[in-house]
Amino acid sequence: MQIMHTTDITLTINEQTHTLAVKPNDTLLEVVRDYLDLTGSKEGCGEGVCGSCTVLLDGHPVRACLTLALEADGSDVTTVEGLADGDTLSVLQQSFIDHGAVQCGFCTPGMLMSARALLNDNPSPDREAVRKSLSGNICRCTGYAKIVDAVEHAARPESGCPDCHNGETGGDHD
Amino acid sequence: MTDYTLIGKRMPRVDSRAKVMGKARYTADLKLPGMLVGKILRSPHAHAKIVNIDTSRARALPGVKAVVTGADTEGVKWGVFAYTRDQQFIQTEKVRYIGDEVAGVAAVDEETALAALDLIEVEYEVLPAVFDPMTAMTTDAEPIHAEFPNNINIHVNIDTGSVDENFANAYYIREDTFTAPEESYFHGEPYAVAARFDYDDCLEIWMPNGGPHMKSKPLSNAFKIPLHKVKVKKITIGGAFGGRSEICPADYICALLAKKTGSPVKIVFTREENTIATRQGHAMITTHKTGVDKEGRVLARETTCYMDGGAYSSTGPIATSVPFLSMEQAYRMGSVRYNGYRIYTNKPIRGMIRVHGRGFACGLDTQLDMIAEHLGIDPVEMRLRNSRQPGEFTSTGSRVCSCAMDETIKKASAAAGWSEKFGKLPPFHGIGIGTNSVQTGFPMGIRGGSQSFIKFNEDGEATVMSGVVDNGQGNENMLVQIAAEELGLLPEDIHLVSADTETTSSDPGSYSQVSTFVGGHAVKNAAARCRKKLFDVAAKILKTDSDKLTAKNRMIYVTDDPEKSVSIKKTVRVALLNFTSVNAEGGYWPRVDMKREWVSNPYGQMCEAFSFGTTVIEVKVDPDTGQVTVLNAVACQDVGKALNPLVLEGQFEGSVAMGGQGGMLTEYHDWREGRCLNPTMLEYKVPLVCDMPEITDIIVESVYPENPMGPYGAKEAGMSIAMSAAQAYAGAVSNAIGVYMDSFPLTPDKIVAAIREKGQA
Repeated sequence: MQIMHTTDITLTINEQTHTLAVKPNDTLLEVVRDYLDLTGSKEGCGEGVCGSCTVLLDGHPVRACLTLALEADGSDVTTVEGLADGDTLSVLQQSFIDHGAVQCGFCTPGMLMSARALLNDNPSPDREAVRKSLSGNICRCTGYAKIVDAVEHAARPESGCPDCHNGETGGDHD
Repeated sequence: MTDYTLIGKRMPRVDSRAKVMGKARYTADLKLPGMLVGKILRSPHAHAKIVNIDTSRARALPGVKAVVTGADTEGVKWGVFAYTRDQQFIQTEKVRYIGDEVAGVAAVDEETALAALDLIEVEYEVLPAVFDPMTAMTTDAEPIHAEFPNNINIHVNIDTGSVDENFANAYYIREDTFTAPEESYFHGEPYAVAARFDYDDCLEIWMPNGGPHMKSKPLSNAFKIPLHKVKVKKITIGGAFGGRSEICPADYICALLAKKTGSPVKIVFTREENTIATRQGHAMITTHKTGVDKEGRVLARETTCYMDGGAYSSTGPIATSVPFLSMEQAYRMGSVRYNGYRIYTNKPIRGMIRVHGRGFACGLDTQLDMIAEHLGIDPVEMRLRNSRQPGEFTSTGSRVCSCAMDETIKKASAAAGWSEKFGKLPPFHGIGIGTNSVQTGFPMGIRGGSQSFIKFNEDGEATVMSGVVDNGQGNENMLVQIAAEELGLLPEDIHLVSADTETTSSDPGSYSQVSTFVGGHAVKNAAARCRKKLFDVAAKILKTDSDKLTAKNRMIYVTDDPEKSVSIKKTVRVALLNFTSVNAEGGYWPRVDMKREWVSNPYGQMCEAFSFGTTVIEVKVDPDTGQVTVLNAVACQDVGKALNPLVLEGQFEGSVAMGGQGGMLTEYHDWREGRCLNPTMLEYKVPLVCDMPEITDIIVESVYPENPMGPYGAKEAGMSIAMSAAQAYAGAVSNAIGVYMDSFPLTPDKIVAAIREKGQA
């Protein structure tokens, strides 16, 4: 049982601000999962390869397993738990369900966050852009086809996604 | 054709909502009051005697709550079969691979647990180790298990007779050897287990599993406690692919630590541990000798397969059989002699991956292509001349009823433009075809059948209990879909209680592609009985006969006069007020030959239904780098009846990725002296989305109204694609470079070497 020095940091996670005493080696993933019980973000590899821990840090996708909590001090963090509005799913989440893009679901939170980041940056991505943007997220179940379908669909005007297609609202970061 | 409300429809899965919200709880997400962190000390040696273990320094470390070694165990050995019990959960005398379990620690946090592992002093006497099966079988190789001479763990011999005389009558005979190395699952979720003993001395345990009842029995044996005291609990599971079916030593160690400390304990594997200390796919060396007539029809075949089994038996007898069985189901073979050997080595334990023994990797399809070329026959035609037909018996005596093998071959090749492309593509472009067949529910003895219980609640909704587990493939949705269809309810009216040994009856688990065929069937039967009870009550309310009623959309109505109706809710309430039960149970046991045994009697009805799949792949190869680009994939499978095409397509696509793209191009393990050099996701190359081709899915149904076999005629979805995709990839690359490849997977170095060798020739 080692006593380690802690530092107070402030994180705004899914629009709630927290002041947390973190150890210097705590990762952002450990903070959201262990300190805040936001266990939607997953640890699949612990070395930044599988993408299951992807969260948005000030709107940009990062590997939470490779991001030190201290680095994130003062930042806005969005995890998978922050995508829905209460019980109302986002268009992207609903599209994953409707297109059969979810199987075991372990990679799903990371996939959703990478897709969210893409749509924030590029509200009208073509299929190739979707494939490129999700290439840092490993899925062992689906063969990816239905995940790409789901993201493509969410980006179409008829999907009703307020943050997609032609940047009507510009997404949730600048 | 029956007009179903839900069956056959593209129904989004009921479990998806929790998963997209991040609310689905996996084992590593569990947090119980007072929970300790467990860690496992593993052998650094491939083969060594344990001379002494000193845990005193570890125990003295502040924050350490318990240290366990083999001395704390009952010494029980695990084995899938009575004759393969060769693995202790914590080793007492010797270790047999790098990663073997030596001790366990429970501490207040991860840092302390890891520090404690470093303080356990183990004195080993290193023994000679053996890392390849052919060396392991030689007489001077160090025995890994004293009771198994020449390190031969399992020998399966099948001989249908007349093999030599049919070879004598063959027009053309060839013999080829194919090799394939080990591969791993790389499930999304690394293995994890959480355990506690409750106030009643019952073990409560959570872990990813391929069937909770497959876990509870060995735990009951190991702790010598009654089965009802082992409660394997429901938890979301992040993929299985065959790698979660057996008891894992970590399950036992975690429970033992919980028992010693009186606190809940959780062990979460690192990615490396998930690779090394769960299971891997067998490495295989397979020789096929095949004799055909002038038209390419197989008259005789002799297959010999050496499988690197690693340190323990695991599912050995099954693993040694299935590679052959999958091929004998897919193709008529004439007379057959098969010798399969599973051999112990000082490497991690091999079990099933997708199905047992990398059946798809043993090269039989490639050899068919070679023979076809020699005889001037198109590969598609070659398959049609040898493909399994409905009503036939396999070489080992299984009757094949539902079978649309030919249709899958024809539809897949047509959709891929085979006749326009084969032999007509530009240089270094190629097209290949693979076919395969898998079992749906083989003989599993006492746990071969599934039972379900359904109760109606007084609000008209129903609770369905089933032992079927969902590893991610969509089994929960399948059960809800079937129950809602049969009961005339909406999916949201079904509350599913599943995969929990305390509340659900025995079930084979998601093993041998059996969940829909057996578990779904049990729910269908229970629901039909429950509906009958409701109809008996409704018939009195509607003043008609119960066989004239239909249930749909929460209503029961007279089939020929739909205006006459009563709600299911009211019917349930009337039943209860009249002291009438509206609960029912149902079960299903597949009609298999229970005398069939993997080693002692490998003949008889293997399972009730077989799925058949064909994959066609088109590639281009860069001749300078050996890089393969997959241009097109067509996946076509006879699934019996497609219960939910949306889910089935996902299974097909995942199968192309793991079985073909990964299995035949990039996935394999490297070794040095028994140490796996690529156990992490950084070094082991699983397919990414940017690697994958677009996939065309074609679902073929083969429902025979007089004999629907599985529920509504369903068999299984996807495994025949995983199996056939690998061979289609191999065929396409071989076609592109003009060399038949016999060493899998087809990595760039091998492809460049083959091109160069051909150029020099």
